[in-house]
Amino acid sequence: MTPASLRGRLRWLIILVLAAVLLPLGLLSLQRTLEEVDELSDGRLAQAARTLDTLTEHAGIDALHIDPERRIVVPIAAPSRESDRKAERTFESEVGFQMFDQAGRIILTTANLQQLPPPDAGEAGFRDLRHGRHLWRIYTLTDEDKGLVIRAGERYDSRHEIMHALWLDHGLPLLFGLPLMALLTGWAVRRGLRPLDILTERLSGREPGSRVPVTLDHPPRELQPVLDALNDQLTRLEDAVEREHRFSADMAHELRTPLAATLINLENAIDADDAAESARSLVSAQHGITVLTRRIEQLLALSRLEARAAASPPTAVDLVALAGDVIDELAPVIAEAGAELAFSPPPAALTVAGYEAALFALLRNLIENALRHVPADGHVQLSIGRGPSGVQLDVIDDGPGIPAEHRADVFARFHREPGQRDDGYGLGLSIVQRAAQLHGASIDLLDAPGGRGLWVRVVFAR
Amino acid sequence: MHIILVEDDAALGAAIHKALEHQAYTVSWFRDGREALLALKDQTADLVLLDLGLPGKDGLHVLKEARRQHVKTPVIVMTARDAVEDRIRGLDAGADDYMVKPFHIDELGARIRSLTRRAQGLADNRIEAGVLSMDIAASRITFRGEPVELTRREFALLRILMERAGRIVRRENLENSLYGLDNEVGSGALEVLVHALRRKLSFETIRTVRGFGYMIPLEPK
Repeated sequence: MTPASLRGRLRWLIILVLAAVLLPLGLLSLQRTLEEVDELSDGRLAQAARTLDTLTEHAGIDALHIDPERRIVVPIAAPSRESDRKAERTFESEVGFQMFDQAGRIILTTANLQQLPPPDAGEAGFRDLRHGRHLWRIYTLTDEDKGLVIRAGERYDSRHEIMHALWLDHGLPLLFGLPLMALLTGWAVRRGLRPLDILTERLSGREPGSRVPVTLDHPPRELQPVLDALNDQLTRLEDAVEREHRFSADMAHELRTPLAATLINLENAIDADDAAESARSLVSAQHGITVLTRRIEQLLALSRLEARAAASPPTAVDLVALAGDVIDELAPVIAEAGAELAFSPPPAALTVAGYEAALFALLRNLIENALRHVPADGHVQLSIGRGPSGVQLDVIDDGPGIPAEHRADVFARFHREPGQRDDGYGLGLSIVQRAAQLHGASIDLLDAPGGRGLWVRVVFAR
Repeated sequence: MHIILVEDDAALGAAIHKALEHQAYTVSWFRDGREALLALKDQTADLVLLDLGLPGKDGLHVLKEARRQHVKTPVIVMTARDAVEDRIRGLDAGADDYMVKPFHIDELGARIRSLTRRAQGLADNRIEAGVLSMDIAASRITFRGEPVELTRREFALLRILMERAGRIVRRENLENSLYGLDNEVGSGALEVLVHALRRKLSFETIRTVRGFGYMIPLEPK
């Protein structure tokens, strides 16, 4: 099935509306005209009868010098249509007359009505009569004073002739007008819907994957919302693509930079003038590999979190037990950082509905970030408890902290504070944020109570 | 030869710094786009190595800003962005060359030589000045056809003087090129270096223009 065409539909609707108005109007007007013609013809007939009556006004029937025993037959030939047309008397119809005396005897008749029997006594006015092969319209006029009955007749078929002509006069314009109107309507509809065609051309002429907004020079009011919605979608798509693009560029930067450092350090080690310098370069290369490993782990964790969003249902996870596992795993980092990590677990388990791996990543990154940002003699304090709006997790450090104006930015992936140590908050906080989102948890960055350092509070709303 | 290195990553910056010093370049290392821009505007460097993924001020922005202020120093951009559009954008912003991380230090060295060579209007890595001949790529010097062993600093000094043979090179320019911006240089350091170089070559190879600078005179062969 071909899809319904807006243009076709519109055209047919317009034609239907026009026909629905014009046809009844035409028919009504035709009917009225025909009635008028009827009345006009009847009037003419009556007039003719009266004219005949008037002719006998003064002398009466005697003026005709007619022998009552005899009757006069006036030979009226039925006017042939051919001759009428030639004489341009198109609407002259065939008429006939009869005149009777009081006794009903015929005095005068035209040849075409010769055979018509006399009228019944008291007959007056109009009536239809079949005479021979034709139907006649008859008007009967009784003149009591003169003792005359005058009858005038007109053949219906000649009257029909006129009506036919009128039918044609009314019908022909409609007959030719309607198809012409349909044609013009088609043109008008096409013309009116041209903006749609232009939009279609614009859309089909676009490069695949193009996210440039679609524009029309003078968009009609009806298309503007379509354009707006379309462009809104395109903008959103553009943003998403831009974000992805930035993400992959950032990821490349985060992975390739330590890789480049490692490579050059190895080359420096090979080119070194002495063993000590070579060893220093090798240690740097090793450090580079460590950084690289951690970044890859973080990236994998992040992509696992992204995948988790659509996966299995959440389970009850004990945050206290999980924090213990995280601290165990972070032992090497704690040893390396030299900072002190304080955690006093609450007496009872505190469970939240969630994903263990994601919560593990959240805890790990929060604690690890804090450990990496405090000085060697610094402190990191972890506490888990029940707050007013749900289970609440606090990580407080006494490191350099994050200035209030930068706090909104730090969740952006790969964000690094200017002048920061080589391994930024960036990816770590992104993971924390994603994991929190998965659990509908909120994250707040606050000033540490000591006046120095950062306080991260995660609240798992009930 | 003085190179400005702009790289925020500590490990990579340190590695490049070390490698370039090993190749007898003087390196000033900046970790921040804003500082780098200030250093660039000084126009004392012979070449800039610019990382694009900088915090604070994006590398491309630094580059455009520097070019807008008519800084003509050759710039090699270092970046992790390897898409063609990124390269085009980098080159269009005014970069002279483009290194995608990770790269080999040898290649970086070759590109630095190529760019500085071009900036000085040299056709190859060889500089001749009278009886002196220098191969920049191989760091080799011959004096009257005999190879001479030089330290990195001596090599760097000789290179500058040979490149501008027949012209006087001002002391400030030499100190700038040899010791960079950050280093505190003792006032006698340059004299000591010139003295050492003269001992390895001959006294008359380098002429002193007292109070002004040094030059290698162009002698007929």
